[in-house]
Amino acid sequence: MLEVKGLSKFFGGLEAVSNIDMTVKAGEIFGLIGPNGAGKTTFFNLINGVIRPTRGRVIFEGQDITGKKPHSVAKKGIIRTFQANNIFPDFTVIENVSLSCHLKTGIGIFEASLHTPGSKKKEKDVLERSYEIIKHAGLESFTNTAANSLSHGHKRILGIANALAAEPKLLMLDEPLGGMNAEEVSETINLIRRLLDDGLTILLIEHNMRATMSLCDRIFVINFGKKIAEGNPAEVKENPEVIKAYLGAGQNA
Amino acid sequence: MEMTAIAQSLLNGLAISGIYILIALGLTLVLSIMGIVQISHGEIYMVGAYCVYYLIKSAGFSFIPALIVATLFVGCIGVFLERVFFRPFRGDPDRAMTVSISLILIIQNIVLFLAGGNPKSYSSPFTGVLFIFGIVIAWKRLIIVIVGFGLLVLLFLFIRYTKTGQAMLAISQEREGAALQGINIDFVSAVAMFLGCALAAVAAGFIGSLFSISPTMGSFALMKGIAVIILGGLGSIAGAVIGGLILGLIDGVLPAITSTYTAGLVGFAAIIIILLFRPQGIWGHE
Amino acid sequence: MTYLLTSLFLTVCLIFLPHFMSGPYYVHVFIITMMNIILTSSLRLISLSGQISLAHGGMMTIGAYTSALLVMRLGLSTWYAMLIAGLFVALVACLTGFPFMRLKGIYFSIVTVFFSEMVVLITQQWESLTGGSGGIYNIPAPGAIVVTGLFNIDFLSKIHFYYFALFLMIASLLILYAIEKSRIGFILKGIKQTDSLAESIGINTIGFKVLAYSTGCFFAGIVGAFYSHYISAMCPDTFGFFYTINILVYMTVGGIEVFAGPILGAFVLTILPEITRVLKEFMPFIFAAVLIAVIFFLPEGLAGLFSRLIAFIKKIIRIKNA
Repeated sequence: MLEVKGLSKFFGGLEAVSNIDMTVKAGEIFGLIGPNGAGKTTFFNLINGVIRPTRGRVIFEGQDITGKKPHSVAKKGIIRTFQANNIFPDFTVIENVSLSCHLKTGIGIFEASLHTPGSKKKEKDVLERSYEIIKHAGLESFTNTAANSLSHGHKRILGIANALAAEPKLLMLDEPLGGMNAEEVSETINLIRRLLDDGLTILLIEHNMRATMSLCDRIFVINFGKKIAEGNPAEVKENPEVIKAYLGAGQNA
Repeated sequence: MEMTAIAQSLLNGLAISGIYILIALGLTLVLSIMGIVQISHGEIYMVGAYCVYYLIKSAGFSFIPALIVATLFVGCIGVFLERVFFRPFRGDPDRAMTVSISLILIIQNIVLFLAGGNPKSYSSPFTGVLFIFGIVIAWKRLIIVIVGFGLLVLLFLFIRYTKTGQAMLAISQEREGAALQGINIDFVSAVAMFLGCALAAVAAGFIGSLFSISPTMGSFALMKGIAVIILGGLGSIAGAVIGGLILGLIDGVLPAITSTYTAGLVGFAAIIIILLFRPQGIWGHE
Repeated sequence: MTYLLTSLFLTVCLIFLPHFMSGPYYVHVFIITMMNIILTSSLRLISLSGQISLAHGGMMTIGAYTSALLVMRLGLSTWYAMLIAGLFVALVACLTGFPFMRLKGIYFSIVTVFFSEMVVLITQQWESLTGGSGGIYNIPAPGAIVVTGLFNIDFLSKIHFYYFALFLMIASLLILYAIEKSRIGFILKGIKQTDSLAESIGINTIGFKVLAYSTGCFFAGIVGAFYSHYISAMCPDTFGFFYTINILVYMTVGGIEVFAGPILGAFVLTILPEITRVLKEFMPFIFAAVLIAVIFFLPEGLAGLFSRLIAFIKKIIRIKNA
């Protein structure tokens, strides 16, 4: 589904991402792990077009999407979340999700400003869809709460809901469990499992090893922008390179 | 163009560079220490020129004492503004900018009320000319180059060798880290504002001896100052110097070759293009 | 509903107001006020996307010159000329908007300032077209609208311009209000809050910002054109840096959060200097005091003051009833 070929990004002389080849198959959950500063978020930014790669190609469902703007990449069906700024803080939860439905509203600019009967119906559809997504994400008791006043964990879940509203084919989650308490972690893991059951393909960056190992079909490990291992969780766990990278990072920290 | 004419316009350019650098240094200091674009900097500069004017005309000072007193006085105004208007909005750049914009109108209206709108002028004590290799150098321009670059050296020494200077450097590089290390941000901000405003007053004092002064002279200075710091890279002292040199030379030399208007257009267009393709400026880092 | 009734009431007041005014000077003040209200509100439309534009002065200059020259050089009807001027300004804003809107925050504001300065320089320089620094004079007033037996608006008296300005203001505010309440306004507010998220869920953030910018500048162009026909003269620096700064101050003082904010700000700050003409000497200080008071005590602007007042009154009523 997603194919990355020789992807590289240099910042000045620094290689943030170096010659990465990767294939994500439809319907799987694919983990991307590595020590802090290994280039994982940069890798996400390269795929969804926040930054342009120095070299290499990104191919999604057979189409070359290298260097396209994030909103065009989103239109192709790749939606990502961020570590921070996943929500519209001044909007309520339902407003957040209904704005995120933007791609699927089909409401044109003129229709929107003229308030045609057609646009009213579409607005209603959007609200209904948004409510379904909120329910799916387990946030229905906060529908009309201001996003800013949600707890940290719920903010992150709302971030995922926002991404879902854009109807991704491939969902890229950047540390969805970061900073959550145990209860919120298990809630979010359940949500991710439900999404997989719905047939979504997921590319996951996560520091919580236990969660990553239990969730992912395959795992890809990078360090200093380079691939050091790839395989199923059991294989990766045993890989000496991986153990070295994590122990080394542990000693430095 | 003749060699002497080229040399002549180069010297003019350097004098203009001196003025631009003094204005831009103030903007850059305030930006890097306090994190706000001090839009009313042009008004501070204008106040500096009026202080020199009144000290000469009403208090009977001669030029140099007037310039020194005005510089210190405007520096103190800077400290006052920092304490009253900018400190409450530290960490809120949007509202700090609003404050700054309001200060433009407030200061300008007050000066208009006190001094009236008619342009005023005073003469430079540095009269006469110097002949070097057949080039005529007016003292009143040369002195700007000397003072401008002299102050630059002093500022550099201040930052390099004093504790406060080092603290300024630390804050400009990392605000939170500096606060953690026990640097007194309040004090350093006040010093930055004092220096920035004082430098603007020096620039204005000299400008007033070359051209006439008016309550609206600040916007021109602001435009040039902002252009310089964008050209050089926001918040960088070396950038302000390089930007000031480049823009001063453009403004000094281009009008001699083309027209003043074309020179102005080229200046603005260059800044817009630089911002679009290299937002961090010539000297700044990504 | 209260909003609607208040607006209707104010409109009716404005329709009858000229008959109670003691002289053409006050009519003039109100015309300028209505112009400022359009400018401030259209600037707010751009700021909904989180970008503060300082190009309004430049855009007004382009609008004023375009309309005046279309009428004087090409003999076009004033009505068409004004509309074309507005559209031309929107086009200029669209073309410059795509590169400019890639910049954020203060960088965008600075570029728009420089754009305005370039407009001034070009109009001064291009003497064969614009008449240079001296400006252009004797710009004709709009053509008369005659409906035999009903009315005859010939724009010979200021009152006619007053009603024209009133019409422009109401039309502009209705359009701006509709945009804000539409999905476009919703999207712009989202972009202002978190534009990286908006982009990643598929919103063409630059496109929407440019849309807001062009639309806002369209109104600036129309107002510029109106002004040139109203005053019948235009100079390159009529709408210079300080004119734009004033509009920005009206918007900030009025309050940027609500639609009525800029209207209130433009109204109070344009009228205030006129009604306190007795105190003219102290005007700078009154102005300064108002600004400082708003900056320090009313982070939401005058509009915030009103909603606080209403809340306060409601509280008092509740206490009395209890």
